[in-house]
Amino acid sequence: MRLLPITLLAAVLSLQAHVGSPDVFFKGSAGPYSLLVTIRPPQVVPGVAEIEIRSESTDIHQIRVVPLRLGYPEAQFAPVPDLAQPSKDDPQFFTGALWLMTSGSWQVRIDVDGARGPSRLSVPVPAVATRVTGMQKAIAIVLIPLGLVLCIGLVSIVGAAVRDAMLEPGKQPDAALRRRARIAMAVTAAIVIGALWFGNNWWGSAAGSYARIVFKPLRLKTTLQLGDRLKLELEDPGWLNRTTGDLLPDHGHLMHLYVIRIPDMDLVWHLHPERNADEDFEQRLPAMPAGRYTLFGDIVHSDGLAETATAEIDLPQIAGNPLTGDDAGGSGPPLAKRGLTRLVDALPAGYKMVWDRADAKLSAKQPYEFKFRLEDDQGEHAEGVELYMGMLGHAAFVSADRTVFAHVHPSGSVPMPALELAQPDNPHAGHMMMQSGPPAAVSFPYGFPKPGFYRIFVQMKRAGQIVTGIFDAQVE
Amino acid sequence: MPSVAHTPVTTDEERVPWYVWCSAAAVTFAMVGVHWDISWHRSIGRDTFWTPAHIAIHVCGILAGISCGYLVLSTTFDPRSALRECSVTIWGFRGALGAFIAAWGGIAMLTSAPFDNWWHDTYGLDVKILSPPHMVLALGVLAVHVGALILILGEMNRTSGALRNRLLTLFLYVGGMTLVCLSVLQMELSFRLLQHQAHFYAVVTMVTLPVLAGVARASRFRWAATSVAGVYTVFLFLMGRILPLFPAEPKLGPVYHQLHEFTPPEFPLLLVIPAFVLDLIWQRTESWGTTRQSLISGPLFLVVFAAVQWPFADFLASPLARNWFFGAKYFAYITRPGSLMARYGFVATEQGADLWRQVGLALVIAITTGWLGINWGNWMRRIRR
Repeated sequence: MRLLPITLLAAVLSLQAHVGSPDVFFKGSAGPYSLLVTIRPPQVVPGVAEIEIRSESTDIHQIRVVPLRLGYPEAQFAPVPDLAQPSKDDPQFFTGALWLMTSGSWQVRIDVDGARGPSRLSVPVPAVATRVTGMQKAIAIVLIPLGLVLCIGLVSIVGAAVRDAMLEPGKQPDAALRRRARIAMAVTAAIVIGALWFGNNWWGSAAGSYARIVFKPLRLKTTLQLGDRLKLELEDPGWLNRTTGDLLPDHGHLMHLYVIRIPDMDLVWHLHPERNADEDFEQRLPAMPAGRYTLFGDIVHSDGLAETATAEIDLPQIAGNPLTGDDAGGSGPPLAKRGLTRLVDALPAGYKMVWDRADAKLSAKQPYEFKFRLEDDQGEHAEGVELYMGMLGHAAFVSADRTVFAHVHPSGSVPMPALELAQPDNPHAGHMMMQSGPPAAVSFPYGFPKPGFYRIFVQMKRAGQIVTGIFDAQVE
Repeated sequence: MPSVAHTPVTTDEERVPWYVWCSAAAVTFAMVGVHWDISWHRSIGRDTFWTPAHIAIHVCGILAGISCGYLVLSTTFDPRSALRECSVTIWGFRGALGAFIAAWGGIAMLTSAPFDNWWHDTYGLDVKILSPPHMVLALGVLAVHVGALILILGEMNRTSGALRNRLLTLFLYVGGMTLVCLSVLQMELSFRLLQHQAHFYAVVTMVTLPVLAGVARASRFRWAATSVAGVYTVFLFLMGRILPLFPAEPKLGPVYHQLHEFTPPEFPLLLVIPAFVLDLIWQRTESWGTTRQSLISGPLFLVVFAAVQWPFADFLASPLARNWFFGAKYFAYITRPGSLMARYGFVATEQGADLWRQVGLALVIAITTGWLGINWGNWMRRIRR
């Protein structure tokens, strides 16, 4: 029953691009202006996306934001842009809100006007309905009495209409009129009950239509073949007109697969399965101890919409193959869930990765720049750092309960193919450009979606070797 | 005009009571607000609680609340009230029947606000007219219309002379606005591209015929149906011509059709012609029974309406109608360039058995709703309170 639910479920199905981490964090340049953009997409569609923009410079006069469909084949015009409001306390901080009217891939176009002239930046953002909720008690307390007044009132009005309305002034209704009024009221009550039944069915139909657009993530079906060959099938539970045959390569790979041993999260691999002729993915596994593993497979659709397909699998000991190409792995101590903050991870040959943590306390829903640096055995910035898949580094933020997973780049949580669609005029939208050799430090803009314990896997490349740093954080 | 048997009560006062004016103003504000709001959503898209269109709708509730609240409270608690003897009693309160109906409508409008807000939070913003919370609002607005009709009728049936004529004019006006109100509910089912389907004619007949028949029968005016359809036509024509005079730009995406002015409602349906034919036939069949009248007038309305609207829809799809006067050049920002609407096409007419099923359904609806309308009008004739 939808009309009278007092105690109702409120659940957020937060599985979409990334897992449990719907907010978009992006650091980029609108011409000369460096911006850190946070977009919190709506949980229902159509709904309102909240936008926060922090400028690194003080010379911005105004910022306008406007939403546009991304990767959409039909011609479209831009609606009137909204003026982002500068904060009274912090003139470098701007906020806005935009309606995203349909499910799918969108971009927020940011037009900046400042002392160094006008410029533009586009940030991809997914709009998918994820929230399934019932009626809150407070609303029900208001609506149910009003509904009862309307229903009983209608019956009473019909009774009065039959009993009194046609009497000459001053006359009183006789017994026959009163009897007719009672009959009319009974008939009206039956009609009201019928109308409520019809309305309830209509409501159910509308709720069913909404349920069909609620995002249903792809699932990974895993099969171990020939001892070390992992077959991955993308299973589609059916959502809108999604297909799995339209994937775009991200850094040259159709899938980025994180394999993490659970529950300790002490072993991690970042792999890149190849798609075979059957449109399944295959990955030759490295040497792995027996155990249970969680899998997060990142893919990007042709319209820029990213998804993370998940699975868990029990594996026997794998003799395995050496890691090749962009595949990488790392190990660390078991995840501790009590008061642990890991800031330094020792790497082979005396090197270490250091979390240059500025904030003593980490809060959920706050955007941060997570800065890491690679040091040599003398504590100096390491030499010989290279780009890893076009980036200074790749990071994965995973909550201890594994309900949150986000694959983040130095530009943020936006997948590179989506960025290339949103910034078609920028030939470097999908990768970093370095004037000189890459520095030994990298930063990732990101915000934790909820409090809890998190493990952060950071990967950089030095002297042809991909190194993995493992850090822990407690978020309040 | 035929003479009316009545019991004069308000013979001293030849002026239309203020609360009747208030009711008429309320329905006007409601319909202006609703059409403005729909146009707002088709051209600008984004709104707030405080848009002028919303305020106009809220004014409807305020006016209805003031007039009906005064009527009910003064009649209930003032023992000297002249209306006490001609009131109905509900839950211990006394007042004119129309006041109670309009008050019910006001509560329904009030209920729809938190319901609609919750609906948007739960299922996303709905960009359609027909949804459960919108239906609660529509029922409320419709009840304000019906309450105004009954309120005027109660006064009208208790008086005579010039005052009755003035009340009759108001009654026909509110009847026309009631038709406008119902036409909003069927708007999504009656766009130009649907007007070559039998289903469209069934829908329009279901909504229109009861209003025309009910108001005509209750008013006892020879040209009541024509007047009601005329009010509908003039109102929608004016809304359609005035709205595009004002600038508007889409504030929501995706924008498929670029526009620079408010998108007006489509050209009014040619209801005035079948309404005129109904008036002619009802003038000549006054002595007939209700069933015989509905057997004739229902199918007649349907046939005449189809005969004029079908070719007129062709005209509206032609280049000749793509101007300010006929309004076929205006589209919502969300109209896709390749859509049937934008290409001035029509949804295909039903074929074979489906066509005959829809035609049969339309005939049954015409006869049934005509019968209901005539009987509703007969009942309204006898209203005294």
